[in-house]
Amino acid sequence: MANLENRFSNNVFFGTVDSVINWSRSSALWPETFGIACCAIEMISAGCARYDLDRLGVVFRPSPRQSDVMIIAGTVTKKFAPIVRLLYDQMTEPRWVIAMGTCAISGGVYNTYAVVQGSERIVPVDVHVPGCPPRPDALIHGILMLQEKIKKQHVLRRKDPQETGKVSP
Amino acid sequence: MSNQPLRELLQRESIQQRCESVYETFGMLTLTVSKENLLALCHLLKHDSALQFNFLSDICGVDHYPQRPRFETVYHLYSIPFKYRLRIKCRFELDELPPSVVPVWQTANWHEREAYDMYGIAFVGHPDLRRIYMWEGYDGYPMRKDYPLRGYADHYNPFGEARSERTEGA
Amino acid sequence: MLLDYFPVFLMAGVVTLLGLFILKISSLLRPANPYPAKNQPYECGVDPVGDASVGQVKIHYFVIAIVFIIFDVETLYLFPWAVVLTDIGLFGYIEMFVFIFLLLVGFIYAWATGALEWQI
Repeated sequence: MANLENRFSNNVFFGTVDSVINWSRSSALWPETFGIACCAIEMISAGCARYDLDRLGVVFRPSPRQSDVMIIAGTVTKKFAPIVRLLYDQMTEPRWVIAMGTCAISGGVYNTYAVVQGSERIVPVDVHVPGCPPRPDALIHGILMLQEKIKKQHVLRRKDPQETGKVSP
Repeated sequence: MSNQPLRELLQRESIQQRCESVYETFGMLTLTVSKENLLALCHLLKHDSALQFNFLSDICGVDHYPQRPRFETVYHLYSIPFKYRLRIKCRFELDELPPSVVPVWQTANWHEREAYDMYGIAFVGHPDLRRIYMWEGYDGYPMRKDYPLRGYADHYNPFGEARSERTEGA
Repeated sequence: MLLDYFPVFLMAGVVTLLGLFILKISSLLRPANPYPAKNQPYECGVDPVGDASVGQVKIHYFVIAIVFIIFDVETLYLFPWAVVLTDIGLFGYIEMFVFIFLLLVGFIYAWATGALEWQI
């Protein structure tokens, strides 16, 4: 090892397999288009020309089987909650959830008979993006935070059992 | 545009004998009618050649708890050829339900389903009376005055009231 | 003579091994967590309804696939024939039209018996 120390110039990179895997997973986050209510408009405008999401590798996919992240944008009602849960279950792993907007985080202003008080009660959420609605740049900030979270994950390295993140059937 | 032409047209005997009162609120004429005359009046208003109220804009349900009669339906009509607007109100209790106006205006189908879902007003003669907003098997009628705002506590909304405090609506 | 084709066999073998290798490495790296809700057929988040949900797929898909394969193989034969057309001359030209005519009889049969109509 001492023979190789300080031998290589700045254009040789060393890294772990985990860092490569995490980098590839975070650079191509494909969300499932899950716009429920008004936050969907901000999500759409984040995907459009001015705040381009395609430059971050974010391509909206219509099917949960082809997507990595579910951006819950809008109010989740009690009638709709089992559908949200089933669509989350049908996503292939590794999968993450971004709760966009206050209605998805905690029910928002709607503490009523028909609204679920936060999508955390249905699916495990990784990033919360507050706002009513959050600006497109706030959503982009949330996606970048999710990318940072993914880069810290252990894929091949051993991790504690409670970090495994496996969904119990 | 004033309501005077419409007011004169409504002075006719066939309409006056069916409605209880005519008054004006918020720039729109309002007729009150009892539930027995409701269907006949609506049929008359739609098919009369001088009135032709062929567009039913909205049906609203109202709960006036604790006053009696407790429930009310409000129909908003619009005449496309003549551009008249009219409101019809009908008060009743739950043991004397109003007829469905679906034979007159087909659009009343979903409006009356909404009134049934939210207030429990089961219109007589409705072809497809089932819930439209809440799911099938939902217990209770949310827009009634004695229904709690936050609903009853379950794992989706734990801030609701406990089930045992529920009282049967009138 | 068979040894002349050795590069072809080598390429086929390398491609197969490469594909298997990539699939194996992926299966070692990816998470595997199947459970009943995940394995359910996707139908916009509700329980599947209709014929395809219980596995009853329309059999006519199979008929369409068979008819396609037959005529696709016929088209496949047209390509090398077109390449050597100048070498085989008029005789080869007529011969291919005989071949196409034989398959045309089959095509008319398939058309007349309704194999090209979608069966419900």
